[in-house]
Amino acid sequence: MSQILGLAVLFLLLNLVAGIWRVARGPTAADRMLAALLFGSTTVAVLLLMAEWMTMPALRSVALLFVMLAGIVTIAFFGLPAGKDEQ
Amino acid sequence: MDTAHLVDLLLAVGMVVLALQVVSERAVLRSIILFVVFGLVMALAWTRLQAPDLALAEAAIGAGVTGALMMMAWRRLLIINPDQPADTPRGRSRVAVPVALLAAALVATIGLSALNIDPHANGAGLIALDELTDTSLGNPVTGVLLLFRNLDTLLEMAVLLIALLGARAVSTPAHPNEAAVVETSAPLVGALLAILVPLSILIATHLLLAGTNEPGGAFQAGAVLAAGGVALVLTARLQPGERPGVVTQLAVTAGLLAFVGIGVGIMAFGEKLLVLPGTWAIYVIETAMMVSIGLTLALLFAGAPALVGRPK
Repeated sequence: MSQILGLAVLFLLLNLVAGIWRVARGPTAADRMLAALLFGSTTVAVLLLMAEWMTMPALRSVALLFVMLAGIVTIAFFGLPAGKDEQ
Repeated sequence: MDTAHLVDLLLAVGMVVLALQVVSERAVLRSIILFVVFGLVMALAWTRLQAPDLALAEAAIGAGVTGALMMMAWRRLLIINPDQPADTPRGRSRVAVPVALLAAALVATIGLSALNIDPHANGAGLIALDELTDTSLGNPVTGVLLLFRNLDTLLEMAVLLIALLGARAVSTPAHPNEAAVVETSAPLVGALLAILVPLSILIATHLLLAGTNEPGGAFQAGAVLAAGGVALVLTARLQPGERPGVVTQLAVTAGLLAFVGIGVGIMAFGEKLLVLPGTWAIYVIETAMMVSIGLTLALLFAGAPALVGRPK
């Protein structure tokens, strides 16, 4: 079971690497922000798996925190002038 | 190489690549988004290092509040100077590569020498863990912060208050419209806030209460409260005010007052300075610290001496 959890974490981390490519490539700021939010969701999944894998239940609190903060960062991003980032 | 090592390797390489991108990116907004992503990976790295307390702090302050703060700063730069986006200049400075190499060498030296250090038989950490069994606390971090080294924590609260006073002394109060980013009438904002703000209070309370026995505590809880406040500032539900009222002044100093009050008051009963009388004192002090930290961070974020409700 532990092996399966570890492999699942590894798979999700590889997904994050693919996500970095999208953050770097864009092309618009909104694309990058959406990729960053996808990062957030994947990180939550990784944390929940790690809580089982490393038997650290406290990691669920960290996951909970990330879910909430994604909303805050989205509000902060909202309404940033478009077109300033497309170069 | 087993799975755990592969995960650690991916995290380590990912952090270095992201850090390089954050500092070398020309467009400011891209750097900010990459910084938020870096914070996420950093939190994962702390969990792999068995430090969930640090992961919580990194999540709340590093990725969340700092990311929002930098987006706000970028917006204000655009308001001040709309024609000239504040991009970093083309080409990198001539000292960039030598400084980077020097820093890398320093990190490598510290890392390699840390590998060769044997844990001290009577190290402070082991003594703290031993002493912890005499207290009712289950979380060694809280034990160190509030019992064994609580003078440090008390002074940290003082530093936070001084930072707020310093920021107030040098900055002119923000115009109410500058702090807010979202039209108050924008659809869905009310619904989002109705979920986010109660959630922030719930998570902050959970972290505070859990902090005595598992990762959590006043600093993380305060940062989460601040995140809820930041959401209210961003959506103009709370606006920068001119003068702090009695409630604001009390809330900002509550942590310091409770800490000093109990820590010095205990001397009247023949105890030494800052010897806390029991778990109830820890709860009182942590709650007061959470309120102070949360409000101080929110005020620093809004760049204002006070926050007032939206005029009807």
